[in-house]
Amino acid sequence: MRQNSSNLLAMSLDKQDSSFVYTDEQLIARFQTGDEQAYVELVNRYRDRLMNFVFQFLGDMEQSEDVVQDTMLKLFEKKHYYREIAKFSTWIYTIARNLANTELRKRKRRKVTVLSQMTRDEREYELPAIQPETGQEVQNKYTAKRIQIAIHALPEHFKTVIILRDIQELSYDDISSIVGVPLGTVKSRINRARLQLQADLKDLR
Amino acid sequence: MNRYEFEDLISDYIENSLTLSKRKEFENYLTEDPEAQSLVDQVSYNIDQLKNIQKVKVSDHFNDYLMKRIKNEQSKHRLNPVPNQKRFLGFSPLYASLMTGFTIAFFIVGIQLFAPDKDTSISQNRFYANNPPTLSSPTIAKSNPKSQELAEAAEDSVDQKSIKSPKKDYTKQIQLVKD
Repeated sequence: MRQNSSNLLAMSLDKQDSSFVYTDEQLIARFQTGDEQAYVELVNRYRDRLMNFVFQFLGDMEQSEDVVQDTMLKLFEKKHYYREIAKFSTWIYTIARNLANTELRKRKRRKVTVLSQMTRDEREYELPAIQPETGQEVQNKYTAKRIQIAIHALPEHFKTVIILRDIQELSYDDISSIVGVPLGTVKSRINRARLQLQADLKDLR
Repeated sequence: MNRYEFEDLISDYIENSLTLSKRKEFENYLTEDPEAQSLVDQVSYNIDQLKNIQKVKVSDHFNDYLMKRIKNEQSKHRLNPVPNQKRFLGFSPLYASLMTGFTIAFFIVGIQLFAPDKDTSISQNRFYANNPPTLSSPTIAKSNPKSQELAEAAEDSVDQKSIKSPKKDYTKQIQLVKD
């Protein structure tokens, strides 16, 4: 019976357009019963989203990918810790956020002297190469860089919520679950973070 | 509406989550203050920029590398399997027995510490420390209220025995009276 359902899932996963058939919660439930194809589907759904999320924190492609790998590995190893009282997305974002914070703390310990000796240009993030670069792409790249610097300059509690809301486009409820603060506090933080970003990016328009 | 109230409501205004009356109030403030309108436009523009920020993707070999890591982790677990032993309230037998031992020891020490005789013995020790007893010293008798009481009780019992007179025979003195 399980074999049949597994085969069915595998077949559905093979078809690109039918991947939405299962919700995240259904997939994790299947994975918890031993269906590894469901795990692959969850990885495919979340790897880029989490990469974007973590990259905004760390600003480094390789390190961000390592953190996303760790997140997925944790999902594999700790699958039974998930309970369907929360959405799967909030659970996986919470894992990624905690791992990214751990990485940031490690980095602070490792590079505190080196960073202080770096110039402003050196501190700025490196974006992945874009080929070929047209005028618009150069402008986009510049804007993205400025935004990243402004986000990075935000206090930690502002940074997380603004990334989750305006870049990841999550709902206020989901953000509240991920960061573990009341809804009103989340709204207030997002508003304050937007005002601070506005002050930093006045000349962007 | 003052400046602080206005700033607090910017996000709600942009996201259309203000009540109708609040929205009107907000828009009145905007018409009165052109700088406020510019601020709202700028915040709205930044939100759009953030939404359209260049998205990064994982590398092409992400899944392959992940599967390799998972296999490595699994083989590690196979090489160092976790012993499947019985657990008592989440403790291994060794820790369970240690915990039980500590609990019992703690209980016994607790009883010893809070036993009712504790005060008496401490005060007696202090007394003897200050007044070392000698054989001739009457302090032993004085300091030991129990022995004094026993002696008194013994004396009493002797007295009572001596006080007790033999039972008298009153049968001869009884006279039956006729009605």
